[in-house]
Amino acid sequence: MSLEREKKDWFSTDPLIFFPVLLLTGIGVVMVYSASSEIALKGYQNEYFFFTRQLVYACVGMLAMAFGFFFPYRLYKLLAYPIIIFSVLLLCGVFIPGIGHSAGGASRWIDFKWFMFQPSELARFSLIVYMAYSMTKKEDAVERFSIGFAPHVLLLLVFTALILPQPDFGTILILWALTWIVMFGGRARLLYLLGSLIPLVPITLWLLVSSDYRLKRAMTFLDPWKYPHDEGYQITHSLMAFGSGGMFGKGFGQGYQKLFYLPTPHTDFIFSVIGEEGGFVALGFIIAMFLLIMWRGIFISISVKDTFGALLSFGIIVSITLQAIVNMGVDLSLLPTKGLTLPFLSYGGSALVFDLFCIGILMNIARVNKR
Amino acid sequence: MNFIERGKKRVLKRSRRIIFMGILFSICFFIIALKAFYLQTLQEDVLSRRALKEYRRAGRSMAKRGAIYDAKMRELAVSTGVVAIGAHPKQIVKPKMTAALIAKTLKVSNSKIMGKMLSHKSFVWITRDASPDRAAVLKKAVADGLEFYPSYTRIYPNKTLAAQVIGITGLNEKALEGLEFYYDDYLKGNARKWTYIRDAIGRIYMRTEESRDGGEGKNLVLTIDGNIQYIVEQAIKKAVNRFNARSAMAIVMTPASGAILALANYPLFNPNSYNRFPREIWRNRAVTDPFEPGSTMKVFLAAAALESGKCTPETIVDCENGKYTIFDKVIHDTHPHGLLSLFEVVKYSSNIGAAKIAEIIGPKALYDTLTDCGFGEKTGIDAPGETSGMLRNYLAWQPIDNATIAFGQGISVSALQLITGVCAVANDGLLVQPRIVDRITNADGTVLKKYAPRVVRRAFSQSVARNVREMMRAVTMPDGTGPQAVPKGYTVCGKTGTAQIINSRGTYEHCDYNALFVGFSPARNPKLAVLVVVNAPQGSHYGGVVAAPAFREILRKSFNYLNIPPERQVEEKNEKKGQAGSSVGEGK
Repeated sequence: MSLEREKKDWFSTDPLIFFPVLLLTGIGVVMVYSASSEIALKGYQNEYFFFTRQLVYACVGMLAMAFGFFFPYRLYKLLAYPIIIFSVLLLCGVFIPGIGHSAGGASRWIDFKWFMFQPSELARFSLIVYMAYSMTKKEDAVERFSIGFAPHVLLLLVFTALILPQPDFGTILILWALTWIVMFGGRARLLYLLGSLIPLVPITLWLLVSSDYRLKRAMTFLDPWKYPHDEGYQITHSLMAFGSGGMFGKGFGQGYQKLFYLPTPHTDFIFSVIGEEGGFVALGFIIAMFLLIMWRGIFISISVKDTFGALLSFGIIVSITLQAIVNMGVDLSLLPTKGLTLPFLSYGGSALVFDLFCIGILMNIARVNKR
Repeated sequence: MNFIERGKKRVLKRSRRIIFMGILFSICFFIIALKAFYLQTLQEDVLSRRALKEYRRAGRSMAKRGAIYDAKMRELAVSTGVVAIGAHPKQIVKPKMTAALIAKTLKVSNSKIMGKMLSHKSFVWITRDASPDRAAVLKKAVADGLEFYPSYTRIYPNKTLAAQVIGITGLNEKALEGLEFYYDDYLKGNARKWTYIRDAIGRIYMRTEESRDGGEGKNLVLTIDGNIQYIVEQAIKKAVNRFNARSAMAIVMTPASGAILALANYPLFNPNSYNRFPREIWRNRAVTDPFEPGSTMKVFLAAAALESGKCTPETIVDCENGKYTIFDKVIHDTHPHGLLSLFEVVKYSSNIGAAKIAEIIGPKALYDTLTDCGFGEKTGIDAPGETSGMLRNYLAWQPIDNATIAFGQGISVSALQLITGVCAVANDGLLVQPRIVDRITNADGTVLKKYAPRVVRRAFSQSVARNVREMMRAVTMPDGTGPQAVPKGYTVCGKTGTAQIINSRGTYEHCDYNALFVGFSPARNPKLAVLVVVNAPQGSHYGGVVAAPAFREILRKSFNYLNIPPERQVEEKNEKKGQAGSSVGEGK
């Protein structure tokens, strides 16, 4: 292999991931503007408030992507424990007055003076890295309970305990699903994976019945139009947004549900805003982009020669896809309401930077293994 | 199993599981796409309609409403531009300060505004009719949370004058009563309509005009003369006060043209603040409420008797000295009479005499003349809620009805029907349609529609009319029943009436009477016809005592206002000059 070829490879990104991600991030920045301009105008007297921030996040995210792309991914094996410790520290920091930052009744951020950071994003990343590391290290014994199952669940429980009081049930749910799926991919025994799910059924039922509030949430999910003014308010307005959009949408900036009808149009419900303004055509395109990214990721994951790279890329792709599916499912009322953002598209710095960083790692794995 | 093979197997298992997840995720995405497709195609109509219902609102504003003028183009009802001010209490940053400012600017109580500011509603009305100047001051001072809507308010500059005739246009330009209601289609301006998009916190986001042009409403010019109306209202007010009566009404009409110069109902009310008055005095009772006409009906009995050919003014009947039993009913006269001619029956208003004349001519002749005079049918006046009165077909009359209807019992009429019928006597037998609107004009004053006098039919012959006029002239002679009706220097043809009031149960109220006087003047060339009805007077209930003075006052002042000189003075003047002149003169 000539030096020139080697040099070219060093910079060669994976176009089937890079361009869809770039496109989605671009659409996200523009749609964040459309969805948030009225809210920003009212809240901050500046219609570009969220737009300029998202633009900056996207730029920072691109740098993070470059870092992920060039930083040798095998070194994460060595960093697995330090990252976990760092995550736990930051998750604790959320509750320390002066460092932690609360908004809307939730303490999810750490105030770094120049920017807000959401430690649960780092926790998610550290979980992926740790699982890839641990299942690679003990590859021969991964089917044993104490090797392939228990340590991961233990770490998960630690994170759960730290995130639960924030509170952020959506993230916890994603972390659990992510852990199970990565364990599944890492050849953990199905007996443990499925067996441990059995007690979930009575626990879920008990949780539902024990609280009127949760029962009503469940009833609302089954028929949101029955409670259009309280519990079903968000979801009915989300559905109205999709319905108003029709096949081709109302046109950019022409949606009305973002006019304070949808509570968080630029974060949790950006998919609804896109549905109203861009119609099914836009939604179909976005779904296609996510499918493309996912299958490309899966292809990378199965073609990678080293186990760590395979599991790391699998973890990354599951994390992003899972988040996208749950967010879209919530907005379309296929899943009960949970506060989750849509990767690349929703407003939010920590999530965007980390997602782009992870995409950088994914492309890194692809590039290294192509040689 | 060697090491490499085991490694391959592991990779295979892992890859299979990863691909399995990829397929699972793909199915999830497929379901998501399917749901989106379902919402955006099949459910599109339902959902977008639901959304529209929430954020789209329709608004409308009316163009300026037409004015109502009296016959001399004096304004009776006008619309002036005002500003309606509304507030979104949640958007007002400093409610206490803002409330104080609003209260000070609009000169209203602070606590009332403060109450509205603290309301939990998303929108409240502060006022519907602020003057444009004050609204401008507020608009400048308050940055957020207030909405200003230009609109119009209806003003009745003469307050109570002719209120029941003009009627009411209330909140939101809604016509409620009277001519305002009857001619609403002409008076109201075209609506300007728009739709607007509202955000969830109630602010208007976008406005689209649906129809821009709002042509102003048309004006009404009435036959009513504000001055005569005022004269009439004062006269009946005086009568009501003097006799402690419940209410009164009066109509002044030009016999030849049917133009109503004044139509008054007492108690008066002020349409500018109509809500402070009981609803039942809003309506124009002279048109809407039927009552028994009492002895005033003898005018039409006499006309029927003469028209039938079976009687002459000299036909003699026996008045039985004041007490006459017909079937099982006893009829009384106020003063006992012996033999009276038809002429005297009218002059002295003998009920027994009237009953006997009716017996001579029979029910059909009486019924025919009454219907020809317009009783039992609407006059077609341009006012809402007109009654047709009650006159049953003669075939359905009980034997006693023929006698009682002759002196005005068992028949009911509206005040307007009564004076219209009397005008036929003044008009040599021609029944004219009463009218209250002379013309409708466009906003620029050009005439859109002119209402000409209209003869409905001939009610009876000219000679009958002349004979009846003679009888009515005799009523106001010093020995008749209504001498008090005559203003000094004029001649009056008239008829008194006293009628028991039928209560809501359909029986006679023992001590409640209507005192009536109807007539016209001057006798030879009638210029004005007047009807006065005083409801439930105390002390006396005779038309000649209660209603006649008011009748006289109305005539005297109206003639003075209209420059119609006293006849005798004219005659004297003419005699002096040795000329044969008309009764309409140039002098006062």
